[in-house]
Amino acid sequence: MTYHTLLFLLTAVFAGAAVMAGDLLIGAIMLALVSVGTSLILFDFFAPWAAVFELSVCAGLITVLFVGAVSLVRGSADADARSRVKFMVLPLATIMAAIVLWFTLPSFFETLASGARIASGNNNPIGITLWDIRRADVLGQTAILAAGVFVIKSIFPRRNKAQ
Amino acid sequence: MINSFALDWYFIAIILFIGLYCMLVSRSLLRQLIGLEIMSKAALLAVISSGVLTNNLSLAQTVIITMIVIEVVVVATGLALLAKNFRVNKSVDIWDLKGLKG
Amino acid sequence: MERGLLAYILIPLLSAVIIPFAARNKPRLADILANVTLLAGLSNLAYLLLNANSFAEVPGDGFSLLMVFTIYLVALCVVFFSAFFAGAMPNRQAYYCLLLTSVAAMCGVVTTSDFFTLYIYVEVLAVTSFALITTDDTSAGLEGAIKYFLLTFPASVFIIVGLSLLLLSIGSFSFESVQLFLSAGMPGGTVLFAMGLILLGFLIKSGIVPFHAWTPDAYQGSFSPVSAHLAGIVTKVSGVYAIIRISMLMRLSEGMAEALAGTLMFLGMLSIIVGAIAALRQKDLKRMLAFSSISQLGYIVLAAGLGTPLAIIAAIFHLFNHATFKTVLFLNSASLEHASGTTDMEKMGGMEHAMPWTSWTSVIALLSTAGIPPLSGFWSKLLIIIALWAGGAKVYAMLALLFSIVTLAYFMVMQKKIFFGKKSEAAETASEVSAPMLAPVVLLSAVIITVGLLFPWFYTYLVETIAKRMIL
Repeated sequence: MTYHTLLFLLTAVFAGAAVMAGDLLIGAIMLALVSVGTSLILFDFFAPWAAVFELSVCAGLITVLFVGAVSLVRGSADADARSRVKFMVLPLATIMAAIVLWFTLPSFFETLASGARIASGNNNPIGITLWDIRRADVLGQTAILAAGVFVIKSIFPRRNKAQ
Repeated sequence: MINSFALDWYFIAIILFIGLYCMLVSRSLLRQLIGLEIMSKAALLAVISSGVLTNNLSLAQTVIITMIVIEVVVVATGLALLAKNFRVNKSVDIWDLKGLKG
Repeated sequence: MERGLLAYILIPLLSAVIIPFAARNKPRLADILANVTLLAGLSNLAYLLLNANSFAEVPGDGFSLLMVFTIYLVALCVVFFSAFFAGAMPNRQAYYCLLLTSVAAMCGVVTTSDFFTLYIYVEVLAVTSFALITTDDTSAGLEGAIKYFLLTFPASVFIIVGLSLLLLSIGSFSFESVQLFLSAGMPGGTVLFAMGLILLGFLIKSGIVPFHAWTPDAYQGSFSPVSAHLAGIVTKVSGVYAIIRISMLMRLSEGMAEALAGTLMFLGMLSIIVGAIAALRQKDLKRMLAFSSISQLGYIVLAAGLGTPLAIIAAIFHLFNHATFKTVLFLNSASLEHASGTTDMEKMGGMEHAMPWTSWTSVIALLSTAGIPPLSGFWSKLLIIIALWAGGAKVYAMLALLFSIVTLAYFMVMQKKIFFGKKSEAAETASEVSAPMLAPVVLLSAVIITVGLLFPWFYTYLVETIAKRMIL
């Protein structure tokens, strides 16, 4: 329980650090740490498949993409560098929001949780769930991967010989 | 003592708040994307938390795997737009996007 | 996912994968392949819809079938138009791949019966839209795409949180389980909260008034044939379709969802008002059409919020009509841009002599939008107003009627500025676009007139075949 809460707290802190980082590269690394924290929470929830996906794809691949983008825009002026105040206010704003939310949200979430309906223990292996129950999603994943490829092809066209 | 689900969702709400705050105040497109990522992490945690509470982990995990696949494509698209914008306008500041008005 | 309609998703997707390989050395082959794919799908669907025997054998909801037909109709017109549109298009193959993928995604959205699958296809659709908007590499297009991107994905977060609450309270995302749960009369506070979050996400995605900031920019900045695709069908499928579906489900909860339905109706009315008033003072043609689109969307959402069977039928009918007339108007704006080199209405004028076909198809489409009698738009607006009156929302009915006159006003201003009036410099040099580029708008105008004139038959058809197979 405490370990679990600590993980959530850590993820929130990393998220704040990612936002506040003056250097975008540090922001990208903090974002990777947010992913790692999420992945640890998933492990803690006994969801190993999702955790491995999160760790390899979000903490790995997306971080690589972000770092690439950061190095691309490095030379330009960082528009946020001029007014750092609104980022420095973030911890204060978050703490205030946290205090206000503490008195309102948990009871609301408990009401929501009272509507929970416990599933009838159908803990099939993940592959079976994906293939038998959510087969339409597999087609959707194929479609979005195809769309991603076409988007990249369209936004970065191969240079013609003439150009 | 509040129950574990409510505590999880309380933290999720805070993470969501941080992401939203980031998207509201930043001018750099890259920070906007960071905020978006943080928000989608919060959404992902909401799904797994509901799945655990109802003892429906396999469905929750399937949903999360699909969400991660979507997230990668979305982030790649966003970064591709950013790179193209940088090439055309030499800037990643969203306040510079003022060409269209009416 | 209905297996009978799966082919309409798979075939465009397959075709999109084949195009880059097949058309590597012959660019025209990409045009031909895309057109043939969509034409084959459309003729198959037209056969299914018009033939009562075969219609009965197709599995699936009537609403889905009608939407698939509309998607193919609009997409075919856009693809055929862009094959002859001589605008700057750096990467022709990728453009067709993206268009076909977006058709597949839209068919996925409308044929699924599961909220999570619907969400996946909506994301596929959104991802393809950004790249389509930036097809011509202009900075306006990029601006529109980035604004769309920054508003549409936070909306997805709301949808996901709503879905996680569905998982919590029902344990499944399918329409049937939600319907069973709501009609069982159990205390459904959590489910209704989830529905509210999902609805909020889709309202942002469809560009209803408090969330409409991105719509005009995206439509104005995008590559011209793509704005027709976006305004005609993409934003309707990615947002409004889900809203109509959810209000069909919420009606079953017998009064528990009244607050949600009331909010929906209020936002719909607000969209009608703000869209119409903003459209009156626009100078750019595409931007004006975008605001008009927001206003028409308001009618659909208003009717969907009311949620009586007649209102739902009216909303679906108006969705179909909106797809036809808005596509005509945006394709004509693309033709005008092509002929005169600008979309600024002040710089055009007297184009009627140079481009008679474009002018007259625009007149048909705008009269239909404004709700002038024999045309199709009149009947759907009439149905919406009758449904509102019968449903007890008399103030909304009067306002809807009033703002349909404002619609006529801004379209008359537009028509006068662009086509009539004294000849401008642009009109001296402009000439009518080629016949293949006119074919799609003439076809759609014919659809508008036919549906309008044969309305009694069409209404019977709508009620007896399409609506019979929906849960109303």
